[in-house]
Amino acid sequence: MNEKIKRLLTPEGVKDLLPGLAGQKREVEREIQEIFGRWGYREVSTPAFEYSANFVGDMKAELADKTYRFLDERGRSLVLRPDFTLPLARVAATHLAGEIKPLRLCYGGNIYRYASSRQGKQRELPQAGVELIGCAGAAGDAEVIALAAAVLRALGLFEFTLCFGHVGFLQKLLDSYGVEPEAAEQIKDYFNKKDYVSLKEMVGGLPLDEAIKGNILRIPTLRGGREVLSQAAGLAPAGAAHEALATLDEIWQALDDYGVSSFITLDLGLVRTMDYYTGMVFEGYTAGMGYPICGGGRYDQLLGHFGPEQPAVGFALNLEHLMEVLQRIRRLPAISGFTYAAYEEGSRKRAFAAASELRGEGQKVIVDIEPRTNEDALNRCKAMGASRMLYFISEAGVEEDGGQNVGS
Amino acid sequence: MLAANDWLTIALAKGRILPPTLELFERAGIGCGQLREKTRKLIFSIDEHRLRFIMAKPTDIPTYVEYGVADLGIVGKDVLIEQEKELYELLDLKIGPCRLSVAQKKGYIEASGGHVATKYPRVAEQYFQSRGKQFEVIKLHGSIELAPLLNLADVIVDLVSTGKTLEENDLVEVETIAHITSRLVANPGSYQVKGGRVSTLVNMLEQALSKGEEAQC
Repeated sequence: MNEKIKRLLTPEGVKDLLPGLAGQKREVEREIQEIFGRWGYREVSTPAFEYSANFVGDMKAELADKTYRFLDERGRSLVLRPDFTLPLARVAATHLAGEIKPLRLCYGGNIYRYASSRQGKQRELPQAGVELIGCAGAAGDAEVIALAAAVLRALGLFEFTLCFGHVGFLQKLLDSYGVEPEAAEQIKDYFNKKDYVSLKEMVGGLPLDEAIKGNILRIPTLRGGREVLSQAAGLAPAGAAHEALATLDEIWQALDDYGVSSFITLDLGLVRTMDYYTGMVFEGYTAGMGYPICGGGRYDQLLGHFGPEQPAVGFALNLEHLMEVLQRIRRLPAISGFTYAAYEEGSRKRAFAAASELRGEGQKVIVDIEPRTNEDALNRCKAMGASRMLYFISEAGVEEDGGQNVGS
Repeated sequence: MLAANDWLTIALAKGRILPPTLELFERAGIGCGQLREKTRKLIFSIDEHRLRFIMAKPTDIPTYVEYGVADLGIVGKDVLIEQEKELYELLDLKIGPCRLSVAQKKGYIEASGGHVATKYPRVAEQYFQSRGKQFEVIKLHGSIELAPLLNLADVIVDLVSTGKTLEENDLVEVETIAHITSRLVANPGSYQVKGGRVSTLVNMLEQALSKGEEAQC
């Protein structure tokens, strides 16, 4: 490959955003942060890299393998943040430890992971999300799910599903059936990947009652509305897993009160990869997009790594996939046109003054860097795609040539 | 709630898997007559069931499903293992049973290294690496049995159903890496957003499968 072409390439998994899309992305991010703000969430910003020790202990090997790690000048191991929940937990447990609870925090920025096909092929992934810290129970769970629905609706999505479950349900159920911990881990892994073929094979070979095997294999069908909860209760021996089901029922009722029940689905087979989730977990999907557009859950033990234990719940939007969906359904923010101001020799000052006034009103104005003849200016206006042109001449004032509504 | 009124798009593999796949759909009560006609059409709509079928190359099916242009796909486990896409594997359709196996020339003496010819470079690489053997993988697109005959490779990793092809080419099967059948796969988005339709179809196919098993007894 010749040297010049090499210099034009970006590494695998990262990309340039060009005029248009870059601005639209910033606008979408602004809208999201504004909604977070209206719900009382305050933005924090954390560094792009931190000590590995803050992260690695809490990651499953699967994520640890996908994390960018490098050494600083003294040989200490650093990571590019693969996730925002851990840094936010650190901030909440240290700088903001004394603040009144619950704490509502939000963030926006990139995370970095070696590509996994679950996230598409990108390695630099823009996210925006919230953490609700110091709030236990279903009310907090429901608030973040309702907030996710509010954001997606405000962005113009109408066809999406937020599916939620509880990591405790499967765990307690398998415990009560006496499934060995190792087998239980494997079963959870199959649920996470929704590899129901391997699940069936494996469960078939376990030393369990046929009725219990049948129960485990029915969990994938436990999807849908609130009726799923009573079906699920029938699978579990008295007492076991009922706490998880009661929480899910409370969440469902709260979401109904929020008026978002048409967007939600229960999925009792839902398990998310991060080990730190302890309760409710959820994922958001939209039609025609194979990847989740958002996801999150409850992590009641994570803050204990940095300070006193605090219950917490949060979610993040995957902006990469969200932008793709918005582009497809034509809901990206509109790009407004601009005015092109040209002038003949000696009229530059008047052009600058007029442009300054228009900019003050919030309009976009490009003033040509050199004087031009009217004809020349007209050609240039067309080539640039300006929505209108102002032409300044020394004696008789402004000549306006509107009607060039390009690309509006 | 689970949405139920959408169209479902299913990617099917052209080739030897197609006739038994269509039979299964028909046993499930979904008439697929138009898919059997000799035509070059690649997309078929069955209005009655709000189903759309796409005809694709087997190795492309996971891609169509991953990107969401197909909600579901029917594809061999061999392709799924090789591509390692994160698709949901909902059902074993028991179609086209065979084995993904290692085979070698008769009289070949086991060595810790050499050349392996295969359509499944990733599977082959992992297989030999996990056994501490250093084999160079040679990717071929068909007629893998040729490679050992021409001394291009010492061993092959390929699909074996009856073993007849191997025998005719003086090869012996030495180890089974995986048992292969066709699977119904979904992408996570369709699985959730079109959950009701997906569940219904899975149920219908499951029933058709057990009907088929009874008939064989």
